[in-house]
Amino acid sequence: MSNIFDICKVCFTFGKSNFTIMKSQFLFPTWTRWLGLALFLVHLPVMHIWDIYHIHSYNDGNLFSLSHLFFISTVVLMVLGLFLIAFSRERIEDEQIYQLRLASLRWAIFANYFVLIICLIFTNNKADYKDLLRLNLWVPLMSFILIFRWKIFRLNRLLKAGE
Amino acid sequence: MKNTLRVERAIKNITQADLAEAIGVSRQTINTIESNKYVPSTVLALKIARVFNKPVEAIFELEDGD
Repeated sequence: MSNIFDICKVCFTFGKSNFTIMKSQFLFPTWTRWLGLALFLVHLPVMHIWDIYHIHSYNDGNLFSLSHLFFISTVVLMVLGLFLIAFSRERIEDEQIYQLRLASLRWAIFANYFVLIICLIFTNNKADYKDLLRLNLWVPLMSFILIFRWKIFRLNRLLKAGE
Repeated sequence: MKNTLRVERAIKNITQADLAEAIGVSRQTINTIESNKYVPSTVLALKIARVFNKPVEAIFELEDGD
């Protein structure tokens, strides 16, 4: 009986702490933003090498061939980098930041679907669908990061103006 | 919703940074609440009221448009 009571107590305190302090948000630690930026910057020269040496022309259709490994490394570096930048915790994570994050996510989804619909209207070639997929890979994350950073920049400017 | 946060802060002689630290939010949030650009949640409003030892209605007030 005391065990059941203990479990209930744990559940209750866990639930309570979730409501009072906003810790229920799943976000990466703040330092991962810089790691994400580093990954994204590393992806740029790797992508350049891809273009210079025409590695995509070696594509033999096999899984984990040279071109496939190169493709994975560039795409994973970029997406992981953007993902870490987008979903890292702010230094002070309060309810206003939470609201800004939500609003930015909404705009990012709007932007993504806008681009997607425009692309769908103006593509009639099967080969273009691969580019469309690639576009869809970074447009939501990139637009989220840009909108969110812009909103935080405006917030900081308001603070400076108020001083 | 309007508020008397700036006045209350002046009476108690505390800065935006002090208030922000006391309730665990950023200075930006206090600044936007003071300039009526951000409406705080009930939890935050209650926390602010507790810092000034006043009821919430003494600091936050509904406007005609609300």
